[in-house]
Amino acid sequence: MVVGSEVPNLLEPGAAATLVVSQDVDLAVPVERHAEVKGLLPRIQGLRRADEEPSVWVPEGRSLIEVNFVGVDRAIVDPADTYALEDPELPLLVFGPLSLLEPGTPVEVGPLRVPVPRIAGLVLEKLLTDRTGEKGDRDLLVVAGLIPFLADADLDELRHGFGRLSPELRHAVRSGLTVLSLLGGRPGMPDPRPLRGRVAALLDALGAEGP
Amino acid sequence: MSMTLDRRVRQIRSRAVIRAWEYRQRDHARGVWYRLRRVLADAREAWAISARDAAALLDEGLEAEPVGGELEPARTILFVPAERLARIPGRVAVPLRLGQELLGVECLALVRFGDPGSVPGWGEP
Repeated sequence: MVVGSEVPNLLEPGAAATLVVSQDVDLAVPVERHAEVKGLLPRIQGLRRADEEPSVWVPEGRSLIEVNFVGVDRAIVDPADTYALEDPELPLLVFGPLSLLEPGTPVEVGPLRVPVPRIAGLVLEKLLTDRTGEKGDRDLLVVAGLIPFLADADLDELRHGFGRLSPELRHAVRSGLTVLSLLGGRPGMPDPRPLRGRVAALLDALGAEGP
Repeated sequence: MSMTLDRRVRQIRSRAVIRAWEYRQRDHARGVWYRLRRVLADAREAWAISARDAAALLDEGLEAEPVGGELEPARTILFVPAERLARIPGRVAVPLRLGQELLGVECLALVRFGDPGSVPGWGEP
């Protein structure tokens, strides 16, 4: 499943990918299918395993972008948990917030059917991806890129997922939304400014501050 | 373990510790920035007004947001109906960004999303 900042690009009509929000594409590998994915690696063309970090595959030409394999462990109960799955060929950073993702409707790009997550879980995951500085802002701009695709049903799903988080993580989600609300625009990236009303509505929908 | 992954795991765990610490601080002084952002997130517009205009609005029964008093030096931050704000000739629009332009304003009048005539609801452009 493609996760991360390339998803808004894939969700654009015709997967137009007009947003300059990503420098790589994250592929989420369920830990229970790690061996299966590892067995498929020799079939990859146009990319090679990075010497310094085997979970990263770098392009051999200029027409491709970097691929970053990350792990998903559905058994993770607390999305704050993160661990490294050791493997000489395909080590994975098993990132706790990715356990919030559910498979969505695949995006069709030409002959390809690209698995992507459901939007609600991806919004929560991005708001919980606690990074700082430029990378943190870019994660929040991914949320800005997803908000236009949030339908009422997604909003309900998001609210439900939010309600299952710990108070600390719920606070982190709210905090991330407030930061997004005050971000400026950047060329080629999703512009959060016209979405401020929706962000305010989303904060309202998530309810009052808890304990 | 891969050194890079090991480092990233440690970074993520460190940030989790910091996040937990920030959560515990949320009702204390450190949490003021979240509380300020939370107020500003509800605002469609922000305007700098004079202390005299702010005092008049408070006299009319509008309430200052507590977070303004938690800053040093204290700020007067209040939500004002757009129609009332329009009758303050000296108001100056301030961009809703956490920068010097906004933080330097002594008296900040905000117009809330949902104020009549201004509000995009969910799903509206």
